[in-house]
Amino acid sequence: MRQDRELSTAEQAAFGAELDALRAATLADLGAADARYIRRIRSLIRGCALAGRLLLLAGWFPPTWLLGTLLLGLAKILENMELGHNVMHGQYDWMNDPELAGRSYEWDIAGPGDFWRHTHNHIHHTYTNVLGMDDDIGYGVVRLFPEQRWKPYYRWQPLWVTIQALLFQYSVAVQHLQLDQYFKGRLSRDELRPRLKQFNGKIARQWAKDYLFFPLLALVLGANALAVLAGNAVANLIRNLWTFAIIFCGHFTEQAAVFNRSELEGESRGHWYLRQMRGSSNLEGGRLFHILTGNLSHQIEHHLFPDLPARRYAELAVAVREIAQRYGQTYNSGRFAAQFGSVLKRIWVYRLPNAGQPA
Amino acid sequence: MALIPLAWARAASGLLRPMRALVAQAWLREADVDLLLQVLHPAWRLNRVLAQVEGREWVAEDMLALTLRCNGNAGAWQPGQHLQLLLEQAGVRLSRSYSLTAVHGDGRIELAIKRQPGGRLSNYLLDHLAVGQVLELGQASGSLQWPRTAGAGVLLLAAGSGITPLLGLLRQALAEGFSAPVTLLHYVRSRSQRAFNRELQGLQLLYPNLRVRWAISAEPATLDELSGRFQASHLTGLPGSSVLVCGPYGFVASVRQQWAGELQSEAFSLPPAAPAAGLQPLQLQFARSQLRVTGDNASSLLVQAEQHGLRPAHGCRQGICSSCTCTLVSGAVRDLRSGGLFSEPGQPIRICVSVPQGDVVVDL
Repeated sequence: MRQDRELSTAEQAAFGAELDALRAATLADLGAADARYIRRIRSLIRGCALAGRLLLLAGWFPPTWLLGTLLLGLAKILENMELGHNVMHGQYDWMNDPELAGRSYEWDIAGPGDFWRHTHNHIHHTYTNVLGMDDDIGYGVVRLFPEQRWKPYYRWQPLWVTIQALLFQYSVAVQHLQLDQYFKGRLSRDELRPRLKQFNGKIARQWAKDYLFFPLLALVLGANALAVLAGNAVANLIRNLWTFAIIFCGHFTEQAAVFNRSELEGESRGHWYLRQMRGSSNLEGGRLFHILTGNLSHQIEHHLFPDLPARRYAELAVAVREIAQRYGQTYNSGRFAAQFGSVLKRIWVYRLPNAGQPA
Repeated sequence: MALIPLAWARAASGLLRPMRALVAQAWLREADVDLLLQVLHPAWRLNRVLAQVEGREWVAEDMLALTLRCNGNAGAWQPGQHLQLLLEQAGVRLSRSYSLTAVHGDGRIELAIKRQPGGRLSNYLLDHLAVGQVLELGQASGSLQWPRTAGAGVLLLAAGSGITPLLGLLRQALAEGFSAPVTLLHYVRSRSQRAFNRELQGLQLLYPNLRVRWAISAEPATLDELSGRFQASHLTGLPGSSVLVCGPYGFVASVRQQWAGELQSEAFSLPPAAPAAGLQPLQLQFARSQLRVTGDNASSLLVQAEQHGLRPAHGCRQGICSSCTCTLVSGAVRDLRSGGLFSEPGQPIRICVSVPQGDVVVDL
């Protein structure tokens, strides 16, 4: 497992100060190139979506149907990850552009942006990998660490995870409804109702777009509505599988650490940085791969600096890796296949109660 | 390049109402609709106000008057009001406030921009803004208005760029037939800064009830000019019961001190910052909640808002999650994490890590 040196309070403060300095240097350097980049990404997304939807109008002819579906899936992946996720973190707020304002951006996925801003930006990024506080650890249906208390339904978790991966956008959307809390009586009906309304509204809009408007448009234009419907459904599926794989690689790889609530007490900024580094894991790959993951392949840098434009993570990673080494911290990074393999292994191993009990 | 004339876009603005409803209900994304409109005409948008530069004219050595034609989204603006002019530079959308010197019925407006030493936006506009270029405007606001009961006459006191809102009001009042005496005193450093002086001299010939005098502070004054900064004696013997004063904070404050009658004012600068010595009381204004309170420069805006009963949306309270982000309308704040100072109007700030430095208005 991990071999991390324990840091004294003074060392933690120095560690935090070095990362703060890195953050400040990047902030001071933000400018036209970052603005141009995110707008180009948005244009690319619009282009892919338009091309994909046009190709799907050609019906079941395999080359056009497959390419159209892939392009639409690609548009959704880029929109959700490199544009939506990053903009909603406030990474581009410094631009003052209302179209890229983190607090109001709404993305092309089932979960309402407001839900995400709460469950992800607030809960997950503040309490990263803290057992009982970060709901992203297994999303309530998967046991990934021996420290999680075993429950009988975990026996079937390979099946649950498969279903979750296929329907990942809904799994993310439903998180903020806190239905488990509602059924345990800890969330009142009055608290749930407005969330349900927002949830239903967003899903209705998403479904109306992909499964009603565009198929009907095809019908009106004399094209094959069923081919369009199927293409849209598969595009959503492709996005679901890809985002699931990338997100599970972020914090559940072999060397990812989990924490107890007690570690949050009086937490300093240095310790927060330390916890983010230990709980996150990176994926290695080319430039295109990084963009396709929304730069979440640089999960460590993303968790240290969630509000810096993600295109900067690659250059930050060089400095962060060096700092980690100097402070004796494991820098958890590997190829996608290896990291994802270690996640799947966790899902398989910890389905059983006694596997890997901490000695 | 425009595919249709701006006049068509202005005329078609009302037809977009169903589209606005769809955007308001989140069925469509405004940025995507705006992209399509923008292809038809670069100044066309669904809700935002954009304007095309139709004319530029130097009205003083350091002041440029602009004529702009707005798309159909401008509200019922009045001369003398001020608005934000927004332009992107180095990826950042900057905004500065300017006063309307004229509002025409056909969507044309006029405003004037004075060169500011070190000004990022004003100097760029003066040196590079070209006829035909498109820029964004905020909606106008401001309550400065021509006195309704001014039988005894009106006194207009302007310093520097303070001439702009007063000129807007003056042009409108004269055109509408205001006949009681009007005196305009414009305080400038040098004679070359007497903005709009040719137009004002022409107006004096046209309207016998108007008298314009200039006060020069950095050069020796001639007989018909006043000398130096504002003093009460400049007003003796002038017909008028109602004063409108515009200019930097110090100028407005000194007029306020020395004039006891009816007065409206607008200051273009903040009071000088108090020396940084420990805890300072300051004015906080939470615009959306319409709350003005006395705050301090020690705790975050989030904490201070909560102390005054507000419940701003927030999350981590340590600058991570951006749940508490809201717009800084005016004033300056310091970021607790980096120590950096933010004073860009319209900038999103995280109130949990932002401490006010002087009087601050936030959209909360």
